[in-house]
Amino acid sequence: MTRLFGIETEYGIGRDDLDTMDPVVESMELVRAHLTTPFERRWDYASEDPHEDARGFRVSGLAQDKEEAQFSIIDAHRPFSFHEMKSDLVLPNGARFYNDHTHPEYSSPECRTLKDLVAHDRAGERIVQRAADRRNQRLGGTPVQLYKNNTDFHGHSYGCHDNYLVSRSVPFAALVAGLLPFLVSRQVVAGAGKVGVETESGFVPGAYQLSQRADFIETELSVDTMHNRPIVNTRDEPHADVKKYRRLHLIIGDANMCEYATALKVGTTQLVLELIARNRAPGLELEEPVTAVKQIARDADLKATVRLKDRRNLSGLDLQECYWEAAQRELAGADPETDWILCEWGETLRLLIQHREQLVGRLDWVTKQWLLETFIREEQIGWDDPWLASLDLEYHNVNPERGLYRGLEAEGKVWRMTNEADVEEASVRGPLDTRGGLRGVCVRRFADQITDMQWERIRFSGGWRPKTLDMGDLFDPMDVRRCVELFEKAASPADALAAWKTRKDVTS
Amino acid sequence: MTYDMFPERREGPVNPMPKAPSPPEEGEGPRRPQSGSPDKDNLMKRMKKVDPKQAERYRQRTGQ
Repeated sequence: MTRLFGIETEYGIGRDDLDTMDPVVESMELVRAHLTTPFERRWDYASEDPHEDARGFRVSGLAQDKEEAQFSIIDAHRPFSFHEMKSDLVLPNGARFYNDHTHPEYSSPECRTLKDLVAHDRAGERIVQRAADRRNQRLGGTPVQLYKNNTDFHGHSYGCHDNYLVSRSVPFAALVAGLLPFLVSRQVVAGAGKVGVETESGFVPGAYQLSQRADFIETELSVDTMHNRPIVNTRDEPHADVKKYRRLHLIIGDANMCEYATALKVGTTQLVLELIARNRAPGLELEEPVTAVKQIARDADLKATVRLKDRRNLSGLDLQECYWEAAQRELAGADPETDWILCEWGETLRLLIQHREQLVGRLDWVTKQWLLETFIREEQIGWDDPWLASLDLEYHNVNPERGLYRGLEAEGKVWRMTNEADVEEASVRGPLDTRGGLRGVCVRRFADQITDMQWERIRFSGGWRPKTLDMGDLFDPMDVRRCVELFEKAASPADALAAWKTRKDVTS
Repeated sequence: MTYDMFPERREGPVNPMPKAPSPPEEGEGPRRPQSGSPDKDNLMKRMKKVDPKQAERYRQRTGQ
């Protein structure tokens, strides 16, 4: 199976100096602060169609709550065009950086290894913070703060989506059946932790949850992402050859600060997808998956059990253990990265039972819980003190001078998969074995000749005939490297495309 | 637990052969980490600087 994954992160944005801020303007200005030249419209939205449903139908519209529907009416009368509001940028590392629904969003380039993915996720944090630094320079002081989290503690959530290239030969129903119990329980490893519970009637302090996102999961399957959020999103938007591939677009996950949690979140999901493709996923069926998401999230002691259709009651740890055992049986020895995931996944499940303290600095919900419990003891306050929600928020601040996770990291107290050189490199260059890296090369070398681009295609200007680099089925790492080499050396996009066509004709 | 007890920074991914987790001893359930009192640490100072009302003021619009 071809491994290819990426992470999209919508950041929360705040202004310390304003009682109320305009999130559309702030998010737009933040993205544009990245630029040193005027904004030029290049992103091509033609292939974006979030209305296609993987269950085999098309919806006429996507659900919004009443509040957001009202905001949309106001947005339609703003003095910006759609393109100006989005401010879509493609960066020299192949990433996309833009204003998505009032949140600065960084979408990593496609990655083939966990180390690349984590480096690019971290590069995203660095890039958005640098944009905030520039914006703050213009404003004076440090009023703009960015949060890599998923809630505002007032019932508004924004996402961190993990995406996987999947063969279309795997039936979607098999993906759903195999993924549901896994995703319901994945939070025991990858949850970012949250103070309080958000319900329709408001924020309820006092509890500590494993996950930021669990309160916002309302259904098992849905094409929607802003309302009626599902455990498995059914959006069928492959950004690749539609006959061969799907893009599994998961919206249930939390934004992680811990590199270890990011690596395990994506690594374990990739292994489960491989089990499903081989028809070797454990046969688990939850009686009420949506309820189970919340039951597991709201028991930080990890003792809550959820009901299966075969009448067994299993905890989140038990469910993860079933998947780990199946993956161990089926996939052990496949390659070094698979073995690393299996080793660390199994060890994490063991430590969650026996020595959770050893996971501080590795799992976000454990790290945050430890910080908050330490603070509660120090300040002699209770779990219902509103200060804790503020500390929760500040855990996710990506500003190195303020963020609590950043503080831990500065003290060398967190596990790192990357080092500073890796993150800096990922800030300027994409993985050269994926089309993400190739996209970045095109942006670095031929930005002024790109007329429009999107995930699977780049169009270049010049001449009578269209000059298009089609990447809808460009996933073989050797092919990508060859194509990268051509675009690195060619004098023009036309020369590179001609050489690439000749090479393809010769090898096909 | 104190800050000094954090695991040493470790580069990864490494390539160990996977090892099976040991089953918990009978009657043993998940245990919470014991918190310490790192009152002299920079991080505790950083935490105390956080405005208790910050989350109350923080408002976002719904994203995806």
